Amino acid sequence: MVGRDSPRLDGLAKARGEARYTADVQLPGMLHTALLHSPFARSRVRRIDVAAAEAAPGVRAAIGPGAVEGLEAEAEYEGYAVAAVAAETLDQAEAALQLIDIDWEELEPLLDATVAVERGSLVADSRRYERGDYERGLGEADAVVDSEYRTQTLNHNSMETHQCVCEWRGDGIDVHISTQYIWGVRRDLAKALGLPEDKVRVVCEFMGGGFGSKAGVDSSLLLTAELARLTGRPVRCALTRRAENMISGNRNATLQRVTAGARADGTLTVLGGEYTCALGWDGWLPPTAGPTQLLYACENVRTVEHGAKLNLPPMAAFRAPGFVEGTWSLECVLDKLAAQVGVDPLELRKLNYAHADAMDGRPYSSKGLMECYRRAEPHWERRHEVRARSDEIWKRGMGMASQIWYGGGGPPSYAWVRLGSDGRANVVTAMQDIGTGTRTAMAMIAAEELGLTVDQVEVQLGDSARGPFAVVSGGSSTLPSMGPAVRSAAADAARQVIELAAQRFEREERLLSLKGGNIVSSDGGSWPLAEITGLLEDGQILGKGARGPNPTGMRVLTFGIQLAEVAVDVGTGEVVVEKVVAIHDVGRVINPLGARSQIEGGIIQALGHTFSEARLDDPQTGTILTRTLDSYKVPTIADVPEIVCDLVDEPDVHLTNLGSKGLGEPPIVPTAAAIANAIRDATGADVTSLPITREEILRALRDAEARRRKEPVAAGAA
Amino acid sequence: MQLERPSSPAEAVAALASGAVALAGGTEVVPLLREGLLPADRLVDVRGAVPRGVDGRTIGAGTTLAELEADPRIPATLREACRLAASPQLRNMGTIGGNLLQATRCWYWRLKFPCYLHGGDRCHAKAGQHREHAFFGNERCASAHPSDPAAALLALGARVRTDRRELDLAGLYRLPTEDDHATTTLEAGELILELEVPEAESSVYLKAMDRKRWAFALVGVAAARVGGETRIALAGAAPVPWLLDSPAALDAATPLPGTAYKVEIARALVPRALASL
Amino acid sequence: MPDLRVNGHDYAFDTNVGRSLADVLREDLGLTGTKVACGEGHCGACTVQLDGVPVLSCITLVHTVGAREVTTIEGLRDHPLVSAFVRTDALQCGFCTPGQIVSAAALVASNPDPTHEEIRHGMAGNLCRCGTYPRIEEAIATWRG
Repeated sequence: MVGRDSPRLDGLAKARGEARYTADVQLPGMLHTALLHSPFARSRVRRIDVAAAEAAPGVRAAIGPGAVEGLEAEAEYEGYAVAAVAAETLDQAEAALQLIDIDWEELEPLLDATVAVERGSLVADSRRYERGDYERGLGEADAVVDSEYRTQTLNHNSMETHQCVCEWRGDGIDVHISTQYIWGVRRDLAKALGLPEDKVRVVCEFMGGGFGSKAGVDSSLLLTAELARLTGRPVRCALTRRAENMISGNRNATLQRVTAGARADGTLTVLGGEYTCALGWDGWLPPTAGPTQLLYACENVRTVEHGAKLNLPPMAAFRAPGFVEGTWSLECVLDKLAAQVGVDPLELRKLNYAHADAMDGRPYSSKGLMECYRRAEPHWERRHEVRARSDEIWKRGMGMASQIWYGGGGPPSYAWVRLGSDGRANVVTAMQDIGTGTRTAMAMIAAEELGLTVDQVEVQLGDSARGPFAVVSGGSSTLPSMGPAVRSAAADAARQVIELAAQRFEREERLLSLKGGNIVSSDGGSWPLAEITGLLEDGQILGKGARGPNPTGMRVLTFGIQLAEVAVDVGTGEVVVEKVVAIHDVGRVINPLGARSQIEGGIIQALGHTFSEARLDDPQTGTILTRTLDSYKVPTIADVPEIVCDLVDEPDVHLTNLGSKGLGEPPIVPTAAAIANAIRDATGADVTSLPITREEILRALRDAEARRRKEPVAAGAA
Repeated sequence: MQLERPSSPAEAVAALASGAVALAGGTEVVPLLREGLLPADRLVDVRGAVPRGVDGRTIGAGTTLAELEADPRIPATLREACRLAASPQLRNMGTIGGNLLQATRCWYWRLKFPCYLHGGDRCHAKAGQHREHAFFGNERCASAHPSDPAAALLALGARVRTDRRELDLAGLYRLPTEDDHATTTLEAGELILELEVPEAESSVYLKAMDRKRWAFALVGVAAARVGGETRIALAGAAPVPWLLDSPAALDAATPLPGTAYKVEIARALVPRALASL
Repeated sequence: MPDLRVNGHDYAFDTNVGRSLADVLREDLGLTGTKVACGEGHCGACTVQLDGVPVLSCITLVHTVGAREVTTIEGLRDHPLVSAFVRTDALQCGFCTPGQIVSAAALVASNPDPTHEEIRHGMAGNLCRCGTYPRIEEAIATWRG
């Protein structure tokens, strides 16, 4: 069961177009919302009058600044909503926006992250970390690499935009919302509305992607709830694609200065990084220094992270926030250092392997990174062959990068398992499946524990009124948090079945177990499960399960390595990624079919980050220029290389009863650096900015050529 | 808003005479209408009125890019330009006539900045984000013409027949001037009916873009040898499709800081295109 | 009132000029299998067939459809591609999936054994943010099971 490919349980409903997303919710009498977005990067509403809009055809309510939290007169970034109209049709609501009488005061925006840090305009206090003696580490190094790196602002672009439908029922409210965190919405909306939490019901059975951006309550939900209250009608609010790409969150841009030093034998003596994160007006400081602090055993490390507060839309978590940006620079610098000291890049990584947590010395709950490195060897050995396939135009090469990230999950999370007289099981938990396939994984876990097949298990999820608390689908935590809860609920149900069976068949409980739809006794007897459950008639066996704590005194992380093969057209700067090999250790693998999809999906998103995606802002006005999917270029099917997936698949025996870690984020972490290292291997070009556009490649090729002319001895790819 | 669906060119022209907007595939006009970039209270669906299909060297303006992409009678440069244009669905919808008339993808223009093309006094791209913009003909407006087929047809020396005249494809386009910001010479209500495409001895289209498919050209290079004469035309290079007299003419490029790389790409692609003829 | 022929059924519709085919399908006819993800013809989620040809219903004005037969995912529910997508795990969040299948159905109808290059060329207008492309390629390459 567990460990074998299982197609997803909701696949057919999705493929047939029957799955009902928030976008598809149509309630009788439902109104539609249009938002008035600020056209300026920084402005203040001097005066506003919504009366004419309110009187327009079809309009049932209009609200302006101050009506709810987050709808304020101070609009600190472009796209910020200052007013909203609810009408019978979306066209009517949008037409009414034009009638809002508004007087904007345009103010001077702050758009430059470096200037913001200098002026102390920060979203959070700067974070400083130091271990060992940084200066001594520098002094002990025989070679030091010190480089600047940049990463761009990225938009999540979930296919389903942020949207919700609110309907008041008596003194409570039903919320249909495209969310990664049903229980977070319930908690925070209840707080905002001053309601007991059980008066807020949050429903999300199917959702069209989130990638970190849909983890909580935003102003559009609050204003929708308010419009529904004012009108007594169900109200929908759906961001347009353009609004989505302005205000629904982003992966913040970074400017990084990274230093690495090693002895001649390749031992790291020092790692350092200064990271400026352009967070926008709000958000939090992501762990950009995380990889530098955690990935390698290095005694002397110093990092500082700044979070610039700017008149740009706020960042939001985006699939391994911080680690994606920080791994890009660290793993590029490491390869340059390997070249300087003349140590093979894979050897250098093994040489500086952290056998215990690099920050505090805690043992790992499990760490299969060395096994990943070992499995990388046969692929890495192909590099000479790959390079030899270069010709006049296309230069080929190979690169690698390591991955480290969280993904252990944790308590609290709960699940119930219901076993009926027909011998079928029902897993009940109010979690969400954001597309990662956790619904299917839960069914597999329950089926394994109960000795059933997957098609004998239903999974009820997506409704806070119909199941217990479940964790946010973020931080690669759904599976490692929910899976153990489901397993313990199923085990609880199994124990009850065995209790009954022991009485019925006069066997000791310890001899009995559930296998293949039967109750099996180790002394030889076997009875169909239905012989026991059939006795229940209308009765049910109810199993309860909770996620236990993570192991104390241990560090729980995920690991991996990716290798990329590229071909670079040195005339036009075109890069073709021909192959990516992804080897990851995330503990026990529940559904290899779904796991492969997660790896491929992460790598493909990383390819967009690496080559074609960038939010471009006008440097003068702070206007977001790339709001549409023709100008913000996510990968298409034609951009995908051959992807080889390899999972270590060793249970983490210390972690939980399941031994599994999360896999949503790890695959996106190392791809960009592996590709940049492959480009350097192929051409000598040292790319330092994401995305690696044609202009960035051509610049790096020019610089490499200049270096070659200057230093004929160091000719060839460094 | 009203919609008419005439079934002959004459009816279509009559319907367009009073300021209505012609709609064919709708891939450009519908989004422009929604964004308020193209004001219209009457639409004329010309799909039933404009010739469609290939007849000898004549291409009906209503022929879709998907149809041209798959037609072996079409010169290679045009076929390839259609194949690498837009997305499959857009090629299924978009007509060759409409494709020639598409507006720039300049984000400033599309977001209604009061730019030169919108009647303002400057080009916002020049001091702003312009990596997808022009390196020729950009003295006033730095937008880049997005049509791949237009570059191919320009290299082929195609002629255009409208409801009232015949002209070289080159004559369909003009750089905006101080007193006239139009980028085509099409008159109000004028309807493109057919294209006359000479037979080419050899032709090719090479395209550099940010994705492998479904992206506008950073640089598109069309080259064709017709009657012993070789012509090169560029997409994504200037506010209009751009005829390049010779590879050396790239020395006269006027790139912005952010479009100098495009000249480098053109320097690589133009010789490759010529070598493959 | 003009008629709209969808999945073999005739519907009369009465709406203002300017409304998209996608909106009429979803809101008036309740055929919500067709998704709208960008609303301006860039992503392919709203793909339907007109006389068997994939088009973008979000930028197709419903009054221009005329006599052409509209096929949506609801008309393709029993197509072998549906089970091929499930079998190969060619979907994650699933929001783009109906549009993918509508495009793929037209592709295999005209070319039952497409090469991988032909699949990539023919499917490049259907964006999938979850990145299920390798699985989609496999689903189409093995669509007959």
